[in-house]
Amino acid sequence: MRRAATLVLAAAVVAAPWLVAAVVPRQQRYVLHVLIFTALFAALALSYDLVVGHVGSLSLAHPAFFGVGAYAAAILATRAHWPFLAGLLAAALAAALVAALVGVPLFRLTEHAFAVGTLGLALVAGIVANNWVEVTRGPLCITGIPKPVLGLPGGPMVAITTLPGYYWLALAALAAVALLYRRLTTFRLGRAFHAVRDNEPLAGAAGIDPLRYRMLAFTIGAGLAGGVGALYVHYLSVMCPEEMTVALTVNLLVIVFLGGVGTLRGVLVGAILFTALPEFLRLAPTWRLVIYGALLLLVVVRSPEGIDSLLRRATGARPAR
Amino acid sequence: MRMRVALTLVALLLAALSAGALSVGAQAPPIRIGFASAMSGPAAITGEGVRWGATLAVEEINAKGGIMGRKLEASFADNKATPGEAVSAVRKLADVDQVDVIIGQTHSGACLGAMPVVKELGVPMVIEACSHPKIRELSGKGGNEWTFRVALDDEIMAYTFARYMARQGVKSSSVLAMNNDFGRGAAGAYEAAFKKAGVTLVSTEFFDPGQPDYRPVLTRLKRANPETILGVILASDGAPFMRQFRELGLTQKVFSRGSLASAEFLHQVRDNPKIGDGVVEAGYWVVGLDPDWDKKWTERYKVPPRIHGSLAAITLKWAVVPAIEIALKKHGKADRQTIRAALKEVDVKDSPLGPIKFDDHHQAWINMILIEMRDGQLRILERLQTSPALLN
Amino acid sequence: MLQGLTLGSMYAMVAAGLALMLGVARLINFAHGEFFMLGAYAFWLGYSELGLPYPVAALLAPAVMVVFGVAYQRTVIRAILPRSWHVQLIATLATSIVLTNLAIIVLGTQPKEVPTALSSRILDVGGFRVAWQRLLVLVSSLIIFWGLHRFVARTRTGRAMRAMSQNREACAVVGVDVQRVTMVTFALSSALAALAAALVSPLFNIFPDMGTALTLKAFAAVVAGGFGYVNGAIAASFLIGLTEALAGSYVSYAYKDAIAFLIMIAVLLWRPQGLFGRRIGI
Repeated sequence: MRRAATLVLAAAVVAAPWLVAAVVPRQQRYVLHVLIFTALFAALALSYDLVVGHVGSLSLAHPAFFGVGAYAAAILATRAHWPFLAGLLAAALAAALVAALVGVPLFRLTEHAFAVGTLGLALVAGIVANNWVEVTRGPLCITGIPKPVLGLPGGPMVAITTLPGYYWLALAALAAVALLYRRLTTFRLGRAFHAVRDNEPLAGAAGIDPLRYRMLAFTIGAGLAGGVGALYVHYLSVMCPEEMTVALTVNLLVIVFLGGVGTLRGVLVGAILFTALPEFLRLAPTWRLVIYGALLLLVVVRSPEGIDSLLRRATGARPAR
Repeated sequence: MRMRVALTLVALLLAALSAGALSVGAQAPPIRIGFASAMSGPAAITGEGVRWGATLAVEEINAKGGIMGRKLEASFADNKATPGEAVSAVRKLADVDQVDVIIGQTHSGACLGAMPVVKELGVPMVIEACSHPKIRELSGKGGNEWTFRVALDDEIMAYTFARYMARQGVKSSSVLAMNNDFGRGAAGAYEAAFKKAGVTLVSTEFFDPGQPDYRPVLTRLKRANPETILGVILASDGAPFMRQFRELGLTQKVFSRGSLASAEFLHQVRDNPKIGDGVVEAGYWVVGLDPDWDKKWTERYKVPPRIHGSLAAITLKWAVVPAIEIALKKHGKADRQTIRAALKEVDVKDSPLGPIKFDDHHQAWINMILIEMRDGQLRILERLQTSPALLN
Repeated sequence: MLQGLTLGSMYAMVAAGLALMLGVARLINFAHGEFFMLGAYAFWLGYSELGLPYPVAALLAPAVMVVFGVAYQRTVIRAILPRSWHVQLIATLATSIVLTNLAIIVLGTQPKEVPTALSSRILDVGGFRVAWQRLLVLVSSLIIFWGLHRFVARTRTGRAMRAMSQNREACAVVGVDVQRVTMVTFALSSALAALAAALVSPLFNIFPDMGTALTLKAFAAVVAGGFGYVNGAIAASFLIGLTEALAGSYVSYAYKDAIAFLIMIAVLLWRPQGLFGRRIGI
């Protein structure tokens, strides 16, 4: 039964563009747009959860990595005319590189200092993006980022220009990230991560080097965030410094912690709830933030494992750790 | 069990959407105008102004019976002053609210993000305030046929203003600009314009809007010692800036572009209005261009009229409404295509901003006005006409 | 430069409150900047709207915020204190979001100005010009810090606070009323933030978002000064304020905000336990 349910859900998700067109024909483009954002944010949230949920390092630096990837892709596409896939790869690598560089000193710090240090990093990155006008054009934004074209040089090329096309691209990216996430958080590697998160001294005693595993999760998480950044800018065709502010961290925290930190399904549920639902409910924007904050406060106090665990309890399923 | 929960959630979601999509077939459906601006976040004050201005203007028009019997209906969307959200805002207005025309986005980053989407969706957008010069380049012939702009951009204003300053005998200036799209764009434009006009640019400084402390930059300016200072600054930052300017005893003449010489500024320095004496500002809107409107605004909202709401209202009343009239007369309907075509034919001679007629790049060449602030009063020094010839 | 000292005083008063909470209650309070913001609005209400004289309004603000701080402690803080610091961070961050946006809704985004007699009066000493208000800020902050020091060193509650910051469990055993001391700490922190706001608002603008940047810089100071070490936080605040002012004047005005955070990161890297060591103490 569970198998069948999952398959039906997966089929529905893939067929969404047609379903949406059938059910809400006049609003289908808007709905697809929201779904694209949701998929991208879900991938971003998963990359964040790797660091926060599985290795237990409360990093607040994710917007910086997202931004590095986004700007790298934007600059390579507009100034150097790199093909989409090459730019995507470069973006992910650039973000991962930055993470590796800053991770070494950052991880020497204690937990609290680490959090504040990563916050400082995010802020500095934002300030640089805003002021290093020669490279990022600062508040004037990088415009004219072309639509993605998939394919290898010399072979067949597929240009992604329609909304359903984007949706499937984003979905494919999400699937890839989710698969990687699954791989990294189960079996031996996953257990090592969790050992570091749950009991660092014991892990060290058992021969698991906490620094190495934290750096691994941190770097991979950053690389994935950079990749999502690249997809994001190709979708919007514009990249401005406002897209990488601390507000993004807050969004991610909401998605991960309210959804269910450290669980794949939890993060996915969180992404859907907190990206798609607010758009569809169309509350007054400032009130929306008040409600977000209040919800976050309530849930994190009453049920820190997030809505996912609440759902699990409600539907009587076994915990999925 | 979980399946049922999931299905119920999805069903609820789609039901909520469909409910929004249902429209009651009325005799003469209203013409829907969408307004997009920053309704939340640090720039929320602009969105609030737009909402107020739009509401007041739409009520005014409907009270007179609408346009040829057709009432107007306003919808609002939040672009949070970022391009990503601007895309969502445009899509929401177009697909969910089914608007026939959009007025927005107030902030240049948002405008740039929105432009490709209005083209894709085929919704005309009339820009009331974005000042990025690239917008003019990208609109109209050979580019985006769906975007139009009423406001002047910084290139136009910079060349006009620099020429005026040179005429007054100004030899050198330093630029102090907000560190956002507005400020950076303007600073870039003035750099080129000063060169052309023969004014030496001594230095350029940027500051973060909303931050309270100008003494460091004022010290730098004092050291650089330009003859004049050109401030690209809004009233809310302008008030502390001018106070600290006086505090430090600087004596340069201050020219400005933004909303330094404005009713808001005077309200903020009402304890000592002389703080703003001598500031000359280049803009295209000031309180007093439409006293009727000012009165209605003050009565309704209890604060002096704001630029962002008033621009949206003027754009509605003197650009979009005439277009709707033309569309209704010619084709009997005012939908996205007819309104776009009609916008190209709009030729208003006497709006509060000046003539509104869109050229090949869908730019209206409204008047630039020079406002001087003295003794707590604002007066219009000069009204300058603008035209493409200025840029040569 | 006097400018840097004024900034430093403001940061210091806010950071001291933050450090107190961290030291005594082991709490990271991301909403602290909002206490400053609300204090500023309380001051504005008293001074601009109710027309109270400056000193009265300046004392009204902390009074209001003490009530608020205690209410906050009894509701939110009490619930999150036993939890992991992840929960604390997110909960206080959430509170910060709620407060900032409620302020936008209720008070409006239009910045308020509260010029006082002293903020317009300029003292001109041989070409060196400064508004009297700035001197007031500096002098007041010194008096306040001295008062704080005396409170902690001399009074019973103060000493209990110090004891709690060193060893919380032992305090409970020895009979220190942990709840009461925590409450007093909160009241004190809120009052400090509000006083800073009342002193500084005449020089700058009041708007709902003003707390956010301040929280971050105050954190930078607390971290650089050694977590929970109040004197360290104060010293670090002045360092940040001075560097910001100097860098803004001589290096680059646009990047000056980054300076504060770069200092913090630099300090953290050079001495991971903060400038003054891991002294969990007041």
